[in-house]
Amino acid sequence: MIGLSHYLAVAAALFTIGVFGIFVNRKNVIVILMSVELILLAVNINLVAFSSFLGDLVGQVFAMFVLTVAAAEAAVGLAILVVYFRNRGNIAVEDLNLMKG
Amino acid sequence: MSMNQTMTAELFFQQVPYILPEITLAAGALIIVLIGAFMGDRGSRLVTWLCVAVMLAAGAMAVLHMPPEQVVVFSGSYAADGFSAYAKLIIALTASSALLLSVDFLADKKLDKPEFPVLAMLATLGMFIMVSAHDLIALYVGVEMQSLALYVLAAYARDDAKSSEAGLKYFVLGALSSGLLLYGCSLVYGFTGSVKFDVISAHVAASRDIGVIFGLVFILCGLAFKMSAAPFHMWTPDVYEGSPTVSTAFFASAPKVAAAVLFARVCFEAFGPAQKDWLGIVVIMALLSMVIGALFALQQTNIKRLLAYSSIANMGYALVAIACGPEFGPKALLVFVSIYAVTSVGLFGVVLSLRTADGERVETIAGLSGLSRSNPLLAAALTMLLFSVMGIPPLAGFFGKWEIILATSSVGLLPLAIALILASVVSAFYYLRIIKTVWFDEPVATMVPVGTATALTLTGATFVLAALTLLIGLVGSAATIAGAGFS
Amino acid sequence: MIAVAAFYILSAIAIASAFMVVVARNPVHSVLFLILTFFTSAGLFVLLGAEFLAMLLIVVYVGAVAVLFLFVVMMLDIDFAELKAGFLTYLPFGGLIALILFGQFVMVGGAWVEKSVAAASIAAPTPAAAAVSNAEAIGRILYTDYIFLFQAAGIVLFIAMVGAIALTLRHRDGIRRQNVTAQVGRTREQGVEMTDPKPGQGVVL
Repeated sequence: MIGLSHYLAVAAALFTIGVFGIFVNRKNVIVILMSVELILLAVNINLVAFSSFLGDLVGQVFAMFVLTVAAAEAAVGLAILVVYFRNRGNIAVEDLNLMKG
Repeated sequence: MSMNQTMTAELFFQQVPYILPEITLAAGALIIVLIGAFMGDRGSRLVTWLCVAVMLAAGAMAVLHMPPEQVVVFSGSYAADGFSAYAKLIIALTASSALLLSVDFLADKKLDKPEFPVLAMLATLGMFIMVSAHDLIALYVGVEMQSLALYVLAAYARDDAKSSEAGLKYFVLGALSSGLLLYGCSLVYGFTGSVKFDVISAHVAASRDIGVIFGLVFILCGLAFKMSAAPFHMWTPDVYEGSPTVSTAFFASAPKVAAAVLFARVCFEAFGPAQKDWLGIVVIMALLSMVIGALFALQQTNIKRLLAYSSIANMGYALVAIACGPEFGPKALLVFVSIYAVTSVGLFGVVLSLRTADGERVETIAGLSGLSRSNPLLAAALTMLLFSVMGIPPLAGFFGKWEIILATSSVGLLPLAIALILASVVSAFYYLRIIKTVWFDEPVATMVPVGTATALTLTGATFVLAALTLLIGLVGSAATIAGAGFS
Repeated sequence: MIAVAAFYILSAIAIASAFMVVVARNPVHSVLFLILTFFTSAGLFVLLGAEFLAMLLIVVYVGAVAVLFLFVVMMLDIDFAELKAGFLTYLPFGGLIALILFGQFVMVGGAWVEKSVAAASIAAPTPAAAAVSNAEAIGRILYTDYIFLFQAAGIVLFIAMVGAIALTLRHRDGIRRQNVTAQVGRTREQGVEMTDPKPGQGVVL
């Protein structure tokens, strides 16, 4: 039988890849949004794994809320991205520099 | 008192009265959206006034329905107590006055659509849920409800490249911080077996695993981002500068109150027994915020960026109040953030009122030159608000800081009090520079009179501030009652 | 035994495709790898006994969110060729930080002991799978104990809808739109004109 720590390790890997994707990516904002989705997926694996090993359903309910909110977040994020693209004509991270300080 | 039995219809209706403020806001938003949809853009003024009325009603309801002691309903996810009721009143007051400020500005920029007030009201609903959150799920849902609406408000001027860039930055960094917050929540859930604050607290009191500590660190980092405390403040200056000024006015007031109160509740209620684990984090964040807020503000030329650093410093002071612990912290925190939020709305009211004769909005400090000659009343209001933020004794801002210093001396955190005083002295320098520009520099342009709603709010904020100064004893005792639940 | 093999295969694919999401040159490929990650994670959920969430992950995530990403990637019409140049400059440092972070998370995950959690902490014990299905068990607490948060989640979706419309919907002027009421409400007198043209002259339109 696979232990909880294995699932947590998978979640940790996805989480680090997501964080890594946000910081390393300098060219494309849309990949950053996908990295955010990876982070939320990692959290969901964590929650479901804990839920399963604790024998407690609350973790799965929590994961459902995370799914719902993540869907809303993706919609808002993409809407902002589209507006930004209309104004600037590209979505490179390096060009996020109208304000300096 | 806690209602933790399995939910039945009877129990449900018993618990509904406690969430009346939230129901009012939600139902109000749904109805007002329909009114806005049918009336189109010409209904935006009416919609704004309706939103203000509903928000004030919800705030009043929170205070009127305040239970004498903490009641936890909806299987541990919602707490009704004095602490949250007081915070909700302040949030409703400052959010609705920020909304009143928006009317003329949005009409001027051709942005007066009914969505703006509705989104601001829904953000307020998120803040209400935040300050009443009593489990990790409610915490997350509340934070996200507020944040999603605020991202849209930041990008609201959709034809302005700066505004959409501000929205995008805010969104990306905000989503990352929500991810950190959630990862922390999942660890805390897994290692304590519950999402409820009271169960977590009981678990933490009995044993302390590394998983819970890790989760705590992640949760505090996520929340620090939401209240723009250093080292998670990077987004603040850019978002404040790029967003439409009315959105900035909104960001700088009510959400700060909600985030600070939620931060305090997580520290005091969920992790109360682990005080020595979070104290270090809070102290470091407080010191960094005060230093960064005070030093970086010195070199700013844009008023909105300067106010961003000022709010970082002020959140540092709020963290000092939280560091004082559950016995003395809540009262100092409530007094401080309520005075800060009102002052902040007032300051943005002044910034929003600055318009030269050729219709340009003034955003630089140099643009304020000679304001005292073209518009003495505005100059006087600005001066008074700045003196209050500085903490000059007869004004309300002084009492906010005084409460925090009293609290630190009660728990023996004097080094933090000294840091607070030093940061205030450095900050006074740049506030005084603004006052000097306003009163003694040669005028560069004439300012035109402002619209009625803005003038009304500005007068209101200054008046409330003056009243707070006179009634400071009352605020203090209200906050004492509100904060008493933790000790 | 099969469950063990399934775990290793699914998680290996999930991690590899997640990595590809981040490093793929073409955003369309990133989205497709994201979908693969979601599918394999749904498999992991099934292994953990959370069938309902596995379903949701595929229906909501693959069906809606990933497709939304695909739409936006296609709509934005980005010059893919120049997108990823210079990617490698940040790779070594970022990779190092990521490895350290990963090591710490694994260490924390390994610290979990079942007995450390008091049985009294468990708010909603999972019923036996034979008695109540996973979806039903979730429904029983979602619509009762978590009704407040359930409604709040609805408001979050409402905010997303209002926000997305406020940001992106544009009423363009100068475009002729179909007016159904006017079309249907047209009378015979408005639509038909009886004329009596003389031979060889025709009608002036």
